[in-house]
Amino acid sequence: MKRDDIHIISRHSNASEQTIQKALNSHVYSNQTDWKKFFNLFIISLGVGFTVAGIIFFFAYNWADMHKFVKIGLTQGILIITTSTLFFLKLDEKIKNIILTGASVLVGVLFAVFGQIYQTGANAYDFFLGWTVFVTLWAIVSDFAPLWLIYFLLINTTLYLYTEQVAKNWSITFVYTLHFIVNMIPVLFVVFSKNKAPNWFLNTMILASVTYATLGISIGIFEKFEFAFLFLIIITGISYVFGLKHGLQTKNGFYLSVIPFSLIIIASAVFINISNNELMFLFISVFIIVGVTFTILNLINYQKKWNHEE
Amino acid sequence: MKNSENIKSLIDSIQNIEGQELTFNEEAIKNEYENQNDEQSLAIKILSIFGGLLSCITFLGFLFIAGLYNSKEGLLVTGIIFVLGAVGLNKISDRIIIDTISVSSYVIGFTLIWMGLERVNFDESTIQIIFVFVGIATLILVQNYILSFVATLVTNLSFLALLLEGNQYDLIHLYTFAMVFILSFFMLNEGKIITTSKKLSRLYNPLRIGLIFSLLIGLIFLGKKGMLRITPEYIWLSSISVILFIVYVIIELINILQVKDIQSKIGIYIFTILILASTVLSPAISGAILIILLSFKVNYKTGLAIGIIAFIYFVSQYYYDLKFTLLTKSIMMFTTGILFLAFYLFTHKKLSENEKV
Repeated sequence: MKRDDIHIISRHSNASEQTIQKALNSHVYSNQTDWKKFFNLFIISLGVGFTVAGIIFFFAYNWADMHKFVKIGLTQGILIITTSTLFFLKLDEKIKNIILTGASVLVGVLFAVFGQIYQTGANAYDFFLGWTVFVTLWAIVSDFAPLWLIYFLLINTTLYLYTEQVAKNWSITFVYTLHFIVNMIPVLFVVFSKNKAPNWFLNTMILASVTYATLGISIGIFEKFEFAFLFLIIITGISYVFGLKHGLQTKNGFYLSVIPFSLIIIASAVFINISNNELMFLFISVFIIVGVTFTILNLINYQKKWNHEE
Repeated sequence: MKNSENIKSLIDSIQNIEGQELTFNEEAIKNEYENQNDEQSLAIKILSIFGGLLSCITFLGFLFIAGLYNSKEGLLVTGIIFVLGAVGLNKISDRIIIDTISVSSYVIGFTLIWMGLERVNFDESTIQIIFVFVGIATLILVQNYILSFVATLVTNLSFLALLLEGNQYDLIHLYTFAMVFILSFFMLNEGKIITTSKKLSRLYNPLRIGLIFSLLIGLIFLGKKGMLRITPEYIWLSSISVILFIVYVIIELINILQVKDIQSKIGIYIFTILILASTVLSPAISGAILIILLSFKVNYKTGLAIGIIAFIYFVSQYYYDLKFTLLTKSIMMFTTGILFLAFYLFTHKKLSENEKV
């Protein structure tokens, strides 16, 4: 019995307030076991989070008179202690993964301390590159979605900083094409390997890919034509067709809403490129409403069909 | 969709709880399930809102380029037509396909009315009072999810703007209190509210998410230094209202967890007081904790996710704004972290033991 069921039945019956509340309490609300799990997770996450943040701030403080050997040694010491707890303490798998995620952040601290001593700057791309490379193994070993998310955040940051600091002549479209490809890798991997990644992770990566594709193409429309633009259109097109197909196969409405929405935005950009007078704006305003409404209608039809098949 | 058998078994289990004979309108229940194409996934809701806003922006762009905003009467009349149109559309049909257009037209309507009233030299507070009433009227007239959500936001935010009018920034504490009170009452008395009237029952979901967002916006004003010129000495005023309701939830929780021995009870209270005492200067953090607790209690996933994201953001913002050296901040956070870890090791055994019993 779900919350919606209780709501609907309560609307069309004379069931008393107490009955409905009881039904909610026993069928919908969190019970004793849920609360215990919640507290456990809440406390350990806060513990690891605050401790790691404390360590980061400790090293961010400019220790003028601490010898560089002590500084790097201390950071490494903490890193070694944290990772070795994984071997010596008997802990739950999930807790171990949370600790490993904390340790991955500490790797970043280590590089930051290094950067502080040798004056490479805190936002140099090589700093993030090093960080990314050295947590790769941990991400693979733990196969823990939050750690993977941090990992791809790092790759994207590295790429962004590299194009800002070194490859300054790369066009926006080309850069966004690279970002699109990077974020599509985990999507394709999860979809094809039938990996049991949580939905929120897959959806976040899809959303990131679609955002880069949409921005890349929408901006590219207003720029001078280049090969990267054509390439981005082709791979985006293939990915979208594949994504829609996959969405239909797995009965997942997420694909069927994100991809059309992206197409609507791209089409609007094309329209503005054609003309930007007032009538065009009026037309686009109507076009967006019709497009989105059509998408929703389509989605509802599929959902109805899927529900019938179940 | 549910077939008759599913519905029958649902009705039976409700009947079991009540104990007495109940009357059910099976026809109406069946009908509602059949028309429930508002098996609305989150994706559809977000799509309607973003689509509506995007189209609203381009439409306003059209008005500005065309220079159609010159006549004040024109603005007012068009605005009113747009708002009425949005409400009317939802009255005629509650099909989900009109969501996008009604959000767009509703927001465009408010923008135009606001611009029109400004031209006619209405003062800001009168406009805000009008908006509060239009928002409430919308809620009474229409119980569609998306439009009710937007109307809740319009009502609450106009109320907030009204309070802050004339640089009375400290009145934001009144807003926090009102939002915390209504939200807690709303989420803790679901059974009472949905059995009061059909209208309230239909409004329950959109009001709940609307209230969470309204509270959150108030908390952002409180949690980010420099957004509002509030008197720092009075910031605990908001904390008190939040903390009061957190303690109330904790008391209820002790019942759910069936904590009976005095020792654990005292332990829970000390832990709660310690955490809450440390957040007295940041009502935004305790507010996020309240959203997390309430949402988890009633198993409301969207609310829980919003609460967690808000919590992380407010904690970071708090430490960012603190005027201590990094070293002091580091020691504060490190100590907090170690305390939590110690508490985890201490309670972990106890909690897992109980689980097996």
